[in-house]
This record gives sequence, structure tokens and C-alpha cells, in this order.
Amino acid sequence: MKRRLFASLIGIVLVAAVAIGFTVGSGDRPSLGLDLQGGASITLQPEGEYDALALDVAVEIIRSRVDAIGVAEPEIIRQGDTVVVNLPGVKDQQRALDIVGRTGDLQLRPVLQSGSVDPTGGTGDTGNTDPVDTTVPEEGGPGEARGARPMVDTTVPTTDTTAPTTDTTVAATDTTVPAPGVEPIDATVDEESAGVTTANDLPEGSEVLLGRDGFAYLVGPVAATGLVFENNASANIQGSSWSVVVQLRGGAEGEDIWNALTSRCFSRDTTCPTAQVAIVLDGEVISAPVVQEAVFTGGEVQITGDFTEQDARDLAKILEFGAVPVKFEVSQVQTVSPTLGSDSLRAAIISGLVGLALVFLLMLAYYRFVAVIVFVGLAVSISLQFSIITYLSKTNGLALSLSGIAGIIVSIGIAVDSYIVFFERLKDELASGRSLRNSAQRSFEGAWRTVLAADTVSFLAAAVLWWLTVGSVRGFAFFLGLATLADVVIVWFFTRPAMLLLARSKFMATRSMFGIKQPKTGEVAP
Amino acid sequence: MSIGSAFGRLYRGETTVDYYGKRKPAFLVSGVFLLATVVALVLGGLNLGIDFKGGVAWEGPATATLDQDAVREVLEANGIDTSNAKLQTLQGIDGERIRVQVGDQPDEVRVAVQKALAEKAGIESQEVSVAAVSSSWGRSITLKAIRALLVFFVLVSLYIAWRFEWKMALAAIAAMAHDVLISVGVYAIFRFEVTPATVVAFLTILGYSLYDTVVVFDKVRENIDRFATSKMSMGNIVNVSSNQVLARSLNTTLSSALPVISLLVVGSYIMGATNLQEFAIALLVGMLTGTYSSIFIATPLVAILKNREPKYAAVAGAVAQGAEMAALFEHTTTRAAQKAAAESQVSRESSVLKNTSSNVLTHPPRPRKRRRR
Repeated sequence: MKRRLFASLIGIVLVAAVAIGFTVGSGDRPSLGLDLQGGASITLQPEGEYDALALDVAVEIIRSRVDAIGVAEPEIIRQGDTVVVNLPGVKDQQRALDIVGRTGDLQLRPVLQSGSVDPTGGTGDTGNTDPVDTTVPEEGGPGEARGARPMVDTTVPTTDTTAPTTDTTVAATDTTVPAPGVEPIDATVDEESAGVTTANDLPEGSEVLLGRDGFAYLVGPVAATGLVFENNASANIQGSSWSVVVQLRGGAEGEDIWNALTSRCFSRDTTCPTAQVAIVLDGEVISAPVVQEAVFTGGEVQITGDFTEQDARDLAKILEFGAVPVKFEVSQVQTVSPTLGSDSLRAAIISGLVGLALVFLLMLAYYRFVAVIVFVGLAVSISLQFSIITYLSKTNGLALSLSGIAGIIVSIGIAVDSYIVFFERLKDELASGRSLRNSAQRSFEGAWRTVLAADTVSFLAAAVLWWLTVGSVRGFAFFLGLATLADVVIVWFFTRPAMLLLARSKFMATRSMFGIKQPKTGEVAP
Repeated sequence: MSIGSAFGRLYRGETTVDYYGKRKPAFLVSGVFLLATVVALVLGGLNLGIDFKGGVAWEGPATATLDQDAVREVLEANGIDTSNAKLQTLQGIDGERIRVQVGDQPDEVRVAVQKALAEKAGIESQEVSVAAVSSSWGRSITLKAIRALLVFFVLVSLYIAWRFEWKMALAAIAAMAHDVLISVGVYAIFRFEVTPATVVAFLTILGYSLYDTVVVFDKVRENIDRFATSKMSMGNIVNVSSNQVLARSLNTTLSSALPVISLLVVGSYIMGATNLQEFAIALLVGMLTGTYSSIFIATPLVAILKNREPKYAAVAGAVAQGAEMAALFEHTTTRAAQKAAAESQVSRESSVLKNTSSNVLTHPPRPRKRRRR
């Protein structure tokens, strides 16, 4: 029993010390909310009809756009259906708003040419004068091909035909676009299209886009949007390979547009010489499958290729998004000046420290030396919580806001209360004439029950608020919940062994606790 | 009686205040406050911030060139009706700040006003903070908060009913409603602006109030168990419980209130972070009423509810005073020791069934045997 108590006491102190040492050593700090460091915060809410999966894609689009404008430590948080974009230190809030609030769309465009991005910056095939060779490295920049993903040999048969031509198409695509792992060939140009297009022939609206696979695509004008698809794309596994199946919308809005595009590509028309259709999301080519059918009579499209499960699921999600694009309404914009933010932070920290010091003094005055246990317990608890907050802010983008700090300051009271409940019970037990050792054990049992009941109520409050609200209330709920859990952990793993061991120690044998004399061993209560 | 001995009795948990007997004056006082709240809510309503009704707010440092009149001019130049604009001058750490709030505005106006204000003050435009909230968003977060509150009420009632009993759940919810209503009343009477931080404060009060009530109820339940075999009135039980937890209640209130008072005094008056000020006031009021209601509202309510049970109805009138009440503590503590001794081996859940065992074990606990080597 005694050994276990020591193990628990040393364990929790060690865990806290290592956690805080690691956190401080790594130089990480919890990231601050906008109200504490200044910047712009934009809250977006989806408008009208949308799909939960499509929302993921929309958030991804926002994320990549924000990354592109180069804001330091942007934060994109999803709270239910609401998306909060925090841009610390952003100056031009109107521009930020334009970038974030614009709806992303899914386009289907014929591929005119494709090629790898030259990682060495255009020192390749000297005899090649094709426009793509010069444009591609400029757009892409070196190193793009290194991130190549295996979305290369994709084919589009309808599901009712049993895709017999896959092998040949794959072979053809392979010569065009080298498989990942193979060193990218300098500025390879699609065999079929070489010489077909020149700079003058390019149709209006053509542009060079980068693909997810690291290759560059010269694509023609937008032939269709994601709206040709039904909202039912799904990733399936056939044998050992993953594919994506999606239904076409009927009539002029769906099938007709799609079939016009595919028949053009199937016949390798000059507007679609590669027979590939690029699926373009927000200016990025997600996949460029080769068309296997002129007319999709079954109304169902299957995209196969060398997909991993993740690739297939991502593509399905993107198609869903295309079918029901999510439009956002900007429901809240907030900019906080850096000075106002840092003022609030300083005020909150200083008043927190002063409050803590006052509580210490009160404990010291009331419980005398036993208050040391409260001090150490609070230090352990704060170390643990600080480490967790720092860790979560690094991994999950949790930001410490003003309401969060308020929650922490308030939780000091709850943490101290656990000690008070325990000590008051201990006083009762001692007053009834029990030995210190016995009283400590008994009073802990009673106090533990009370602490558990009270903390459960607090935690319920935090959990319900976290699930059902948004914004600052949610931030507050998180910190309250964390503090409540920390309280339970500290009471069991720290306060319990610390008090029980103190009660058994030689140090206490000659002293009275809380000014109540304990009977000598063996003496019986009156 | 000297102050020293009063403190000593409080310290030892031996005060003999008849809280149950004072329930009527306590209810009356609370009733007056609640009535004031209702009147203030009906007459004036709450001063809702832009987060709940939508609108735009700008805030920047007040300089010699940027005072309230200058702000008004800027607003009018941008075609905003200033009659409904709310202008405030706030005391900040580096001098005064000026804050203006108006209804919903289009994006262009928002940016234009921000630029114009910065120009007037001779500062960079990012030094002027802006907050804009669409009115539909404001409505939706209000609805979400209310829904969360209702779910929370139901869950907490179920939890307390399961852990204690439904009469205690009812009393706890009533005490909590009392605390939150009085805190809301403070906002309504003093016309403080309700912001999301205020909602956080109200929710904290709600959590704190329940937490405090649960701690007191745990003691009441313990005493109900201990007096289960004797004919003890509910009035006595709640009095004993309340007096026993008084030291704890005061201590906890003080140690919870100290950080909040520090937030109020250091944070908002000395450091000038005015956005903390009203938050801290709401919290302070809530914490004080939370402690008050646990002892003066929640526990007497439990006694009143439980007095309807035949067991307690018979002895409802018998409430011990002074020395008699002090004698009950003695009884309680020795009994507590016996019961704890009897129960130390059995699980907590079966405690109700094992109550009778405390009659058998009337001798004091045997001192522990020394362990053999």
C-alpha cells in the first residue's frame, strides 16, 4: 500500500515535470486567439443545400488558399458546420475576406497536353520547342515532381462494360506520364499531342495547371462543371484495386454535357487530343483519366486507376463537392488590433498570477503548512494542463482566447475546492478523536465521493457546451472540461498519496494537523 | 462572544445557525431580487451586444483628433445614421479608447469607416479593431446556447436524481435558476452589454452553483443516512449539514472569488482591460449567490420537499436550537465513525441497505493491531 502510494506520487510529479520540461524545452507556446494577438477572424456558415462530405472539401479549398497567401500560422477550425478562419496579423482584411469567402468549383476540362515539371529548371531536351516546355517550369517551379502521387494511369470505362482495355490505356498513359518513383524525365511531352498544338492554336481559355500528381497539364476551356454528376460518388474496391463510381444527372444538365465532352475526347478531337479529361478543383488538376467510351449510355461513370483507398475516397469526396458546391455566407468578421490584443493578454496573465498568489496566502493562513500540498498540487496540475494545451494547440490548432483564460482563472477555484473539501472532512474526523492516519484514509474516501459528484456536474456542463455551441463559449467549455479532468486526476494521483503519506510520516507524528491534537497511538476516542 | 471564538467554532464546524428556521426571510430576500430582475427585464430588457443582434463595431485609440464628434462625422460621411450609434469611451492601459457600434453594414462601408477612422487618428488602419456580425448568425448562436442549456438541465437533473434523489435534483435546479436569474438581473438593471463573454460568465455561474449545491447535498445525504434509524426531522438534518459545510463553503467561495476579484481590480481597473470588467462582475455576483443559494435556498427546499414524506412529516416541527443542535454534531460524528468503521469493508452502493449495522456496532472502533513481522 505504502509503496503504491509512493509510486503514484512520484509518478504524477515525474509525468508533470517531464511534460513541462519537454514543453518548455521545445520552445513551444500555446497559440493565442485573435483577441489576444490581433489579426482577422472570419466565421463562415454554409448556405442552402450542402453535403457533409462536400464541406470537408470546401474547408480544404479554404485551407490551401489561405496557405497560398502566406499568412503566418493561419487557423482553420470546423465547429460543426461552421468554419472559423483565423488569420493572425493579416493586414488587408478585405483581401482575406475575398480569398476565404469565394466559392470553390469543380471543372471538367479536356487535356491538351501534359508533361512533367522539369526539376532542374529547363535544361532538358534541347530540340523541343513546344510551348509547354517553357511554360511548365515557370508555373510549377522546381521540385514539384518530387511530391508525385500515384494517380497516373486512370481510365474511365462505364461500369456496364467490363473494362477490357485497361492494359493498353495504362501502357499509353505510362509513356506520357512516368510512374512515381521513376526519376522524372525532363519536360516529357505527350507523344500524341506533340506537334498538334502550337501557341497560336491554343483555344481561348486554355491554361497550364498543376496536378496533384506533380505533373503539369495544359487544359482547354471548361467543358463541364461538377454539376453534371449526381450527389452520390462512392469509392469502391474491385478485386484489389480501388475505383470511384458516380451517377450522371439525366438530361441536358448532366448526361448531354458529359457525353459531348467524352465523345470529343474519345475520338481524340483536336480540342481533346490526349483523350484525357482533367478533373480540376480550384485550379488544381485532381485526376486526368483517359476516356474509354464515347457515350456513357448507362448514366454511370467509373474512374479506375492505381488508387490507394485514400486516393479513391478523396476523389469521391471531391466529386460530391462538385455536384453540390458549398456556398458560404460570411456571418462574422472580426479584426483586433495587435495593441488591444496584447493589452488584454497582459491584464489576464497578471490578474491570474495575483489571484493565484492571494489563494496561496489564504490557504497558508487557514491550513498552515498543509497548504504546501495545495501549492505543489496546483503546480503539478498547471504543468500538466499547460503541456496539454501547448500540445493540442500545436497539433489541433487549439488557440487560447480571452474566454479560455477566464475559464482557467475560474477553474483555480474548483481545483482548490477539492483540497478544501478533503481538509474539512479531515478536520471533522480528527475532531471526533481518530488518529491522523485513520482520519486521512477515511476523509479521503468521503472527499473523493464528493469531488467525483461535483466534478461530474462540471464536466457535464463543459461537455454539453462543447458539443452544442460555437465560438468563445466553446473555447471556454474546452478549458473548463480540461480543468475538471485535471482536478480528478490530481486528487487521485497526487493529493491522495501526498496526504496519506504525510499522515503516516514521522514528521506528523509529533505535530498536530489543523491545530487539533491527535491521540497517541492506541488511545481511544472519548 | 468574541470574534476569536466565533471563528474557532466556524473553523471546527460547530456553528449552530438555524438555517432552516430562517428559510422564510431568505426566500423573501431572494424573491425581492428575482422580482427586481423580472421588472428590469420586462421594462428595459437586456442590452444585447452586436454578437446577438448583428451589426458592426469599431474600436481604436482616442487621440486629440479622434473624439466622439469626429467619429460621428466619419459615420455620417459614410452614410450611416448616427442616431442609433452607440459611442463609448473606454479607459485603457495606454490611454483612452473609443468604441462605436452600429447596425448591419455592407463590407465596403465597414472597411471605409475603418480607414477613415485610422486616418483621423493618424494611425495605421489595422490599429482600428473591427467586429462585424450578421444578424442571422447572432440569432443562431443565441438559439444554440439556449438549446445547450436545456440539454444540460435535463442531463444534470437526471444525474442528480440518479446520484441523490429527484427531490434534490429539483432543489438544485431551482437554486441554479435563482443564481443565473439574479446574475442576469444585474445585467438588466445596470444595462451592461451582453457579449459572448457574458454568456460564458452566466454558464460558469450555472456550473459553479450546481457544483456548490452538489457538495452541500452530498453532506445532507450522508446525514440522512446516518440519522436513518433515529427519528430526526429534516430541519435538523439540513441544519447540521449546512453548519458542517459552512467552513468549506466560505473557504471555497473565497478561493474562487479571489482570482475573480483580482481579474476585476487588477485586470480591469489597474490594467484597463475593460472587456474583462463586466465579465468579472457577473462572475462575482454569481459566485456569491451560488454559495448563498446552496445553503439558504437549495437545502431548505430539500427539507420542505422531504417533509412531505410520512417519515419526516411526523417530526417536521422539531428543530433543535443552540446547544441542542451542537449535541447533534457530537452524535453525528461518533455515529459517523461507527458507520464508517462498519462500512469500510462494504461498497458504497450498498450503504443504504447496511444502515442497520450501525446499531450493532455501538462500541468505539478497535485500535489497529500492530502488523506481525
